[in-house]
Parts: sequence; C-alpha cells; structure tokens
Amino acid sequence: MERDNHQEGEAQGVKICDLPRESNPPADALATSLSLLGSHMFPDPVERNNSITVNKEEPADSLPDGTAEEESLDAEPHSNQVTELETEDTESTECQNNVSTQPSDMGTEDAATDNDRSDSGEFVVTMLAKAKLEEQGIGVKGRSSPLLEAGTQEIPAFMSHRDEDVTADSWRQHRKHVFVLSEAGKPIYSRYGSEEALSSTMGVMMALVSFVQSGDNIIRSVYSDGHTVVFLQKGPLVLVCVSSSRQTEQQLRGELLYVYYQIISMLTQASISRIFEHKKNYDLRRLLAGSEKILDGLLNLVDSDPSFLLAAVHCLPIASSLRDALSQILQKAITPNLVFSILIAKNQLLTIVQEKTVIEDTRLEPADVHLLLNLIGASSAFQAGEIWTPICLPLFNPDCYFYAYISYLDPPECTVCLLLLSTDKEAFYAVAECKKKIEEAMMAQNALSLIAKVQSYSVSQVGVSDLRHFMYKPFDVPDNYRQLTQFTSPEMEAPYSSEEEKMRLLDLYRYMHSRIHSTSRPLKLIYHVAERETLLAWVTSKFELYTCFSPLVTKSCAITAITKLLRWIKKEEDRLFIRYPPKYSTTPNPSKSSRGGKSDQQDSTDNGFLSLL
Amino acid sequence: MPEVSKMKKPDVKVVLLGDMNVGKTSLLHRYTERKFKDTISTVGGAFFLKQWGPYNISIWDTAGREQFHGLGSMYCRGAAAVILTYDVTNWQSLAELEERFLSLTDTANHDCIYAVVGNKADLTDPKAQLSQVSDMASEDRSDYEESIEPQVLSACPTPPASPASLSGITLHKQVTLEDAVALYGRILRYKGLEEKSSLPAEKMCFETSAKTGYNVDTLFEALFDLVLPSILRKRNENQESPTVDLEECRGGSSNKRARSACC
Ligand SMILES: Nc1nc2c(ncn2[C@@H]2O[C@H](COP(=O)(O)OP(=O)(O)OP(=O)(O)O)[C@@H](O)[C@H]2O)c(=O)[nH]1
Ligand SMILES: [Mg+2]
Repeated sequence: MERDNHQEGEAQGVKICDLPRESNPPADALATSLSLLGSHMFPDPVERNNSITVNKEEPADSLPDGTAEEESLDAEPHSNQVTELETEDTESTECQNNVSTQPSDMGTEDAATDNDRSDSGEFVVTMLAKAKLEEQGIGVKGRSSPLLEAGTQEIPAFMSHRDEDVTADSWRQHRKHVFVLSEAGKPIYSRYGSEEALSSTMGVMMALVSFVQSGDNIIRSVYSDGHTVVFLQKGPLVLVCVSSSRQTEQQLRGELLYVYYQIISMLTQASISRIFEHKKNYDLRRLLAGSEKILDGLLNLVDSDPSFLLAAVHCLPIASSLRDALSQILQKAITPNLVFSILIAKNQLLTIVQEKTVIEDTRLEPADVHLLLNLIGASSAFQAGEIWTPICLPLFNPDCYFYAYISYLDPPECTVCLLLLSTDKEAFYAVAECKKKIEEAMMAQNALSLIAKVQSYSVSQVGVSDLRHFMYKPFDVPDNYRQLTQFTSPEMEAPYSSEEEKMRLLDLYRYMHSRIHSTSRPLKLIYHVAERETLLAWVTSKFELYTCFSPLVTKSCAITAITKLLRWIKKEEDRLFIRYPPKYSTTPNPSKSSRGGKSDQQDSTDNGFLSLL
Repeated sequence: MPEVSKMKKPDVKVVLLGDMNVGKTSLLHRYTERKFKDTISTVGGAFFLKQWGPYNISIWDTAGREQFHGLGSMYCRGAAAVILTYDVTNWQSLAELEERFLSLTDTANHDCIYAVVGNKADLTDPKAQLSQVSDMASEDRSDYEESIEPQVLSACPTPPASPASLSGITLHKQVTLEDAVALYGRILRYKGLEEKSSLPAEKMCFETSAKTGYNVDTLFEALFDLVLPSILRKRNENQESPTVDLEECRGGSSNKRARSACC
C-alpha cells in the first residue's frame, strides 16, 4: 500500500512545500512544524484574496509524463492518459498521470505511487502521527504501542467507528478523515475515533489554524505525500478533512461544506453564533451529542452517492402519469403554513410539491434536499412512529427552522416515506391529519403497490452496447428557474457490482468532474482512456454528462453512442425527471403571502437554545 | 397492512422524558415491538398511537438531547401522564430530570400523573437480567395494533444473550430506588400536590430494563390504567352521543381483563 512509506517512524520528516527535508524527534514536532510552516508562509503572502495555500501546484497538472495518445491502450498499466478533445482555454492536447485510478486503498494499482511528489510536505501526516504519540498517555490508556502494532487488521464489525483505537495504524489508513472543532480548539466531531481520544490531534490542528490566522491569513490546505488536508472555517467552527482519496481540494472543501450545513440543519447558524458569542468555550458537543450518526451517515453518502458531487437530486424514474397522480394527492392534502410536501421511495425522490409563494421567492437547493434525505435515513431506526422535529434548510435560510413531519407509509417495510415541512411549530396534529388524507388517497389509488414496483433502470435499456454507465444532469428542464436541479443515472451493474468497483468508478467520475470544473483550466470535453474503461465527460450550456464505456470503444463509437444516449434521454425525459414543479397555496390571504417565503418563519430562539446558557 | 382508516383521535397523551441515552426509545420499542434493538438518538419527538382496549393512547417519545429542549413543553401540552426516565447507572441522568425536564411538564394537564423510571436495571440488578416475558394472555394481544405482524406475535422478546455475558457486566448502581422515591416527593412538591392525596411513590417509581423486558409491560400497563379516569373525564366533557357511554362500558370491562391478566 502506498501509505507504507510514511508509516511508523518514517513519519518524522516535516516537509512543507519545497523546504529541504528535515527530521525531527517526535517531541518537538509541533513546535518545529509550526515554525517551519510559519517561516514558509510569512515571507510570501499569497495573492488568493488573503489566503494561504500550503501546497505545491496541483499535483495533477505538474506531472507531464508521457505522450498524448488517447487511444493507446497503455502498455504501462498505471499511467493512464487523458486527452482533451475540445477545450475552451487550452487547445493543446495533454497527457497526464491519471490520479483517480490509483486510490491506494483499493489495493488494485498500488504500484502506482508517484514518487514525483515525495518532496511535497508531509506536514500533517507527521503532525497527526506525533499527536497520536502524545495521546498514548492521555486518551487511550493501557494499550500497547500503536506504532509497533501491525495496524492493518480490520476493525471488528461490532465495534463502532467511535470506539476505534485512534493510535492504531488502521485508524490512520482510513481514506478520508473529517474533524470538526471549535475556534477554541474544542473537539466537536471526528468521523473515526472518539473526539476525546483525539483532543490533542485536534489541538494541533487548531494551533495550526490560529497560527496562520495570527498573520492575518487563512490556512486552506496542506498537501503531503498521498494526503490532502483541507481546512474550512465557518463562523466559530473549523472543519478539517484529511484525505488520501485523490480528490481535489475544491471537491473536499465542498464535502466539508456539506458537513457544516448538516450541523446547521440541526442547530441553525444563528444559534451557533449566539452560543459562541455568549460562551467562547462552549462545548458544542453537548448540543451535537447524538448527532454523530447523522454526520457519519452523511459522510458515507458523500463518498458513495454522486448526488453530492453533482449537486443535483436523483429522482426515481416512474411513469409521468403516476408521478402526476402522486403530486395531486400531495397538493390536495394541505394545511396552513405547510411549505413542502415530499414523497420519497428507496431514498430517492418521487415528487416534491412546494408552496406557491416559496417557489416564487426562492429555489429549493439540492443540498437542502440531500440533508433532509440523510436525516431521514439516519433517524429512521424506529420507523413505526410519526416524527416531528425542527430542521433548518441551510441554503434556504440558515437562521430559522422548519418543522418536519416524517412518517413511513408502508410499515413494516418502510421504504415509502412522507416528509411534510411546516413553518408552524405547533402544527403537528394538523400536519398528521394531512398524512392521513394522503394515506387514504394513496390507498384508494393503489399507489403504494405501484410504487413498490418502481425500479431504477438498467443502462441496457438505452441500447448502446459499449455503454456501461452514465450520469446526466440537464440544465434545460422546463421552468428551470424554479426547478430543483436533477440528474439521472442507471443502476451500477457489472463490472461495477462490488463496493470496490463502484467506488472505483465514482473515483473516475470525480476525477473527470474535477477536470471539467477546474478553476484554473475548466474543460468542456474530456475523452479519457483508463485501464479498464474509457470515459467521456461533456458539458454544454444544456447539460453535463459523464459516460463510462468498455475499454474497447473507439472515439467515434463513443460519440455516436452519446448521440444515441441523448436521444434516448429526451424520449424518456418525462419518466426520468420531475418535469414541472407542482405547487400549492397554503397562505390563504394573498396580501400576507407577499411578505415572501422566509420572513414569516419561526425564529430559532423559539427552540429555546438560549435558555441553556 | 394496517387499517389506517380506523385510526381515531387519541384519547389521552403519555410523554416519555429524560436525558439522552437513558433508553426511552428502547423502552417504548420493547413495549410495542417486543424487541430490543439498536437505536439512533431520537430527533425531535416521535408520535405513536397505541390501542388500549377501546382507547387510543398517544405516546410521545421525545429526544433527550439539549438541542431539542425547546420542543419539550410542546410535546407535554395536555399530557395525562409523564414518564420521567433516568439510567440507574448514571446519577447525572436523575439530576437532569429535576434540572432540565421537570419544568417542561408545566404544560401538562393539572391532574397529570408522573412516573419515575430507572432504566438499564439489567446492568446492576441480577433479577432484572432474567427476561421477563410478558405473561399477558394471548387474547389481549389482539388489542395491540402494533402486534399484527406474525413474527412479532411469536413473542421471542429477548435477544439470546448468554447469561454469562449478562452477569459479567454488572455495573455500579448509581441511583437507588430510594433516590427515585425522594425525587418523586420533590416532584409532588414542585407541582404543589399533597402527598396524601396523590398516587404513592412506591406505585409510581419503577426500575426497568428495556434490554431484558424487566418491568416494562408492568410500567406501561400500570400507567394506562391510571390514566383511564382522565380518558373518561375527557370523553364526558365532550359528551354528545349515547355511543360514548356504550364505549365506556365496554372499555371498562375489557380493561379490567387486561389488568387482571398482567398482574
Ligand atoms: N443494558 C441496557 N442498555 C440499554 C437499555 N435501554 C437502552 N439501552 C441502551 O442505551 C442506549 C440508548 O438507548 P435509547 O433508547 O436510544 O435512549 P433514548 O433515551 O431514547 O435517547 P435519546 O433518543 O437520545 O433521548 C442504546 O445503546 C441502548 O441499546 C437497557 O435496559 N439496558
Ligand atoms: Mg430516543
């Protein structure tokens, strides 16, 4: 495995960017790291509006290592080639080491370590290693020396990630760590291992953040051999991601933002700032305790569900007549202050009906829907009841709560879920009444058994033999302005049936996505010949498309295939997407409704946080 | 599939309160589903409707997390019974009941009854480690709408935990029944109630285990019986049709049956 080269004692070298390699005894790692970091950063304040990037240039862009021949099915298994056929701002074909086909934790192409990067900073890896050495005596007493253990064994299944031994190597080998801490350096959340056991690690991170801050700069990222560390500061919270997934900084920061939003969805931004205004040292874990599983679930989804990458929702393909019928059922079951009615099956959208004034005022963001879906997924352990809970939609309005009614319509299977959002805290019984109406109407139309038959589709329906998978995100859905951004994608089928292979395909997509959305050099079309498949990504003003073909496809075949695919999607559009956003009006007084969707919502103070202080 | 159309308006409201992690959801789950399984910390509150003879009892399982504190009084509004739950291995969880949860019950009915329940007794008490399969007669099971599923009916309520592992983990008991009784006394005082005219502490303090089922049915059934007067009064208040009386009679008798069966 690639990480082998900075395991154990070797992790002592503190290297930041192009500074000469130095070794330090573990004890003064922190001091040395910081001073090294500081001495590197202070002389040259970087342009990117007051922020510092502790990184060398994009690794991917700096490694020209071959010739541009997109169809050369490489003799060398791990150096894959990318050719951009058409680009807006680059006309030259170029060839690159394909970052995404060698994620170290898949164990498939582990030979492919790019040694070119060995001179990059190993700073945080060292930092984390040192912090853990210190923790031996603090967090996890009575365990044998972590760095001596052969740490590759799997965590036993019955053990939750929370109980993980943070001193074990297996802990360090997680593909993606996420930490949340307060500005005062208090640990709030860690994806793996308990926050307590990690308090000194987080302390080091915070020291790093504040140190850079003291020079009026913001730390954004640290690149090390095989790891990317990304920092995101949001109000009083600091979020840190340590990843070996080869995703770009931009993508990782996007994921941290989802974590931040999920926290906001539970607490609201206003109450978090107010809490920290009152008490700088407040232990936010007290408020978030119990929410770890929701954040865990979110991070698992972020890794496995392309909806997050694409910032679009995936709706279940159903006959438009059925979707319309379901929308109408929702439209008829209303009560004052109801703003959204959402029907979900198998964790995908069936339909979503919105309050008229809300839809006219703002657009529901896919991220808010993702957070809702994750909350439902994570909180549905006990599915028999009807849940009533405050929830904030951070992109809609980060400072106020909606009240969500969540109930499954098909117990005990619990695959069809109804979600009704109201602005009225007291509306539970009225909203529950709506559910009863919906349930009755669905029963009358036999809707549940129709929904039960609904399945995601197979790529074979498209009828293009070399096409294995695709993701299509249109920008031209009718009524686009108020429409929720959606995408469609078939089931992942063989050869992408195993979890590892699914992840590998997603990693390829992530790589293509990062190239398309590169801030420095965005591309319009990429034809990428990888070892075991060929990918083509294409973005136009009308859509964004990612396709995956068998490796034997030729360029012209792929282009023909895409033409066919686009034609097929056009034909199936009504089934694949929610085409026209249905709405209802629950604000009977039209003059009232002109206030706009946001202003009349409950204030977060209603939830009584301040009484805690 | 449950008969939705038969759902009636709830007659009475019971609320579970208590700190996070004390086992409120597990208790309710044990009672309604006859199982102990992994839970996820509750968000907000969850509403359940329980058929008790001819009555519909609504039960609110609330979140213990501070984050949802503000909703507590809403869940408690008009409650006829409040189950204040703590964890027998955690003194703080009892203290929290007084500090954080008692004031939420201000919105409950004036004649609301209070139970103080120490859960996780299996961790401290050998007798709670033995599963206590409800000896409710099978005739009564049909009263429970949640029990329609055959595998639920086949009542194997306890996970097959080996006795060895159970007895191996006896923890230090931090809260005794006397502590709970004392708290009950303070609750009555807080509510301005006379101890003599109120339900006695020994009847209202329970030690339970959601894990083994110990005392769980006893707790819920005792409470349901005790809220009956509240139901009857409520029905009399909006007494309009003679059918109410009829239902009451039937309710009374069937309930007697349930009671005698479980004691
Ligand atoms: N040993 C033992 N463990 C229990 C018992 N009841 C609950 N637990 C465990 O305690 C933990 C919390 O249980 P929950 O039922 O989710 O607690 P809760 O009171 O609903 O918590 P919130 O929803 O966060 O307020 C879970 O891990 C349960 O498995 C019990 O009787 N004995
Ligand atoms: Mg609970």
